[in-house]
Amino acid sequence: MNSLPLVLYLISSGAYAVHFARQGKLAGRIATVILVLGVLTHTFVIGMQTMQVGHFPFVGTTGAVSAFVFLLALAYLYTEMMTDERAMGVFVVPLMALLQVIPAATNSVAERPPVLDSPWFSVHVLALLFAYASFALACVVGVTYVLLFKELKAKHLGFFYARLPSLKVLDLMNSRAVAVGWVFLTLGLVVGAVWLLQVQPNTLDPRVQAMSLLDPKIFIVLLCWVVYSFALYARRSIGWSGRRAALLSAFGFAVLLLNFVPVGYFVTQSHNFY
Amino acid sequence: MNLILVGASHHSASVDLRERIDFSRRGVPEGLSVLGELVGIAEVVVLSTCNRSEIYAACENPTQSRKTLISFMCSYHDVPESKLTPHLYTRHDNDAVRHLFRTASGLDSLVVGEPQILGQVKDAYTTASQRDYTGALLNRLFHWSFAAGKRVRSETGIGEGAVSISYAAISLAKKIFGSLKGLRALLVGAGEMAELTATHLRSQDVQQILVASRTPARAAMLAAKVAGESVPWERLETELSEADIVVTATGSAQPIVTRQHIETATKPRRDRPLFIMDIGLPRDVDPSSGDLEQVFLYNIDDLRAIVSENMTRRQSQVDHGERLVEEEVERFAAWLRSRAAIPTVVALRSRFESIRQSEVNRVKSKLAATSSSSHERIEEIIEEVTHRIVEKLLLQPTEQLKSVTGEEMIATYTDTVNRLFNLTEEPDETDTDEAFPPTQPLVAPPRTR
Repeated sequence: MNSLPLVLYLISSGAYAVHFARQGKLAGRIATVILVLGVLTHTFVIGMQTMQVGHFPFVGTTGAVSAFVFLLALAYLYTEMMTDERAMGVFVVPLMALLQVIPAATNSVAERPPVLDSPWFSVHVLALLFAYASFALACVVGVTYVLLFKELKAKHLGFFYARLPSLKVLDLMNSRAVAVGWVFLTLGLVVGAVWLLQVQPNTLDPRVQAMSLLDPKIFIVLLCWVVYSFALYARRSIGWSGRRAALLSAFGFAVLLLNFVPVGYFVTQSHNFY
Repeated sequence: MNLILVGASHHSASVDLRERIDFSRRGVPEGLSVLGELVGIAEVVVLSTCNRSEIYAACENPTQSRKTLISFMCSYHDVPESKLTPHLYTRHDNDAVRHLFRTASGLDSLVVGEPQILGQVKDAYTTASQRDYTGALLNRLFHWSFAAGKRVRSETGIGEGAVSISYAAISLAKKIFGSLKGLRALLVGAGEMAELTATHLRSQDVQQILVASRTPARAAMLAAKVAGESVPWERLETELSEADIVVTATGSAQPIVTRQHIETATKPRRDRPLFIMDIGLPRDVDPSSGDLEQVFLYNIDDLRAIVSENMTRRQSQVDHGERLVEEEVERFAAWLRSRAAIPTVVALRSRFESIRQSEVNRVKSKLAATSSSSHERIEEIIEEVTHRIVEKLLLQPTEQLKSVTGEEMIATYTDTVNRLFNLTEEPDETDTDEAFPPTQPLVAPPRTR
């Protein structure tokens, strides 16, 4: 069922690429319309899966990836609407399509074990996924900032110069995305910790018992929190904006992505509910 | 009605001559009022810019009008015919249309794709049309040229990329800062180039323009011109740390802004960008300053390279633009051809109307002599009069068709009549009243061998 949104995200990626390369307005509009169709289909898929298992399908990394892609699409569409700027689509939508391959290939929904049967679970997962989506946007914006920065410094005004918004706009988008992401990351972590303190003494589930600061998934996400907290601090207090802030947000997301896919599937002892 | 264009531009005349035949010296309306009085000129528009003086006119006799317009150009601007005529060009009909469309698109401009010309063409048209010097032909032609100009610009890249040094600098600044509103600009040196850039900056609503020069009087003069503020030369370093955009153009033999200056100036500003445009020759700013984080240093050669790259890119779009213009010329020519039939249609209508009128007059007198209750008589009259109308309408065409000789001519005539009255088509059943049998061809098509 997850294949249909995947196909639409792929077509939309192609249209965004055409729009970026040729700067045609029509291709840009088509890309947005297809992306909206993709999001609608994705909403339908998530709705159907919720009906099937009786709860939001976030359990396990596969469900989380699908929800992450969905939230990233929403966050991106919101940014596009607010800024009337489609240049980022060529970077964001292919990333979504790439990640959507995982749920499309798996195509099964994990049942929620009784231990996760708590409203805290939904808040924890949704907050973190939304934070990841914001950080993904910040990363993409940061990468484009660096590309444009390099062209301007090298005095070879070409491809990106003609297509990207100004450095200031990119820097502003980056700082906002990092700030929003940090708020949700903090919320997700706090809720997770409070909930764990409630649950841990009352269960023998080895996955819950394995939840500690040394579990790779928890360790890395805390590391990310440190990275993004530093990014916020550095912007406010040391004056790191522009290229340094862009690189920092790209680095933070690279670490997050590492946590999301390889660690989430193969390494963690705690967060493997599938 | 024919279209004629007489004029001179940067392609055909020197700046000296162009200045002499510039309509704006005495005002375009005055030129129009003289042109409007000329014999044989039905409609007229004057396009006068610093690079061209052109008269677009609609006339009946193009050969005569050409002479009239050339002698007007010479006498109005007081230039001897022998001196001006070799530099004037004349274009007729489609060539005139093509010329206007190329002009409006910026293809004929000195700097290909420059954006002002479309506005100038619009102004020229508005000036003439507001004073009733334009009619059906020039109204249509000029509106078409606006659309053609817009189309060429939007479908090709001929208007993209800055092609002047100062404009290239402004575009760069915008790519760094987004809007230039609220920024502080510092001009170091008060030469012509600094002034030009300052004018551009002012038009972008920068918050403050500061001018520093070794000669305070010159700084004050430039500051007054661009609504800025002059600052003492000694405060240069302090102002450097406050400014967002710095333009240096001093003509000093030694760099006046060293890397050390910039390092000191940028330290307190952290990662706030500083855009330096060094247009002095020799350079005023130590080139290695450009390596500093968030310092964007462009010298005159960098800006020239950007301009020349943009020019090359624009030039590569010219062929595409020319093809689009050609398409538009074709479409306009088709509209013009369709207009050629209008007098015939008008004459035909008037002929038919006169026949109808004469029959109405006849029937009125007959009705007056008939008592109102005599329906049979009225029906008779209607029968008679409608029959007479059809007879009269068909009399001339039938006689003409019968008199045609030669197979080719007969084929042409019959084909024309069949087309005009749509005689060979099957009648639409839903529309056909049963009282009327399906129409038969008026003239049988010739047999093919």
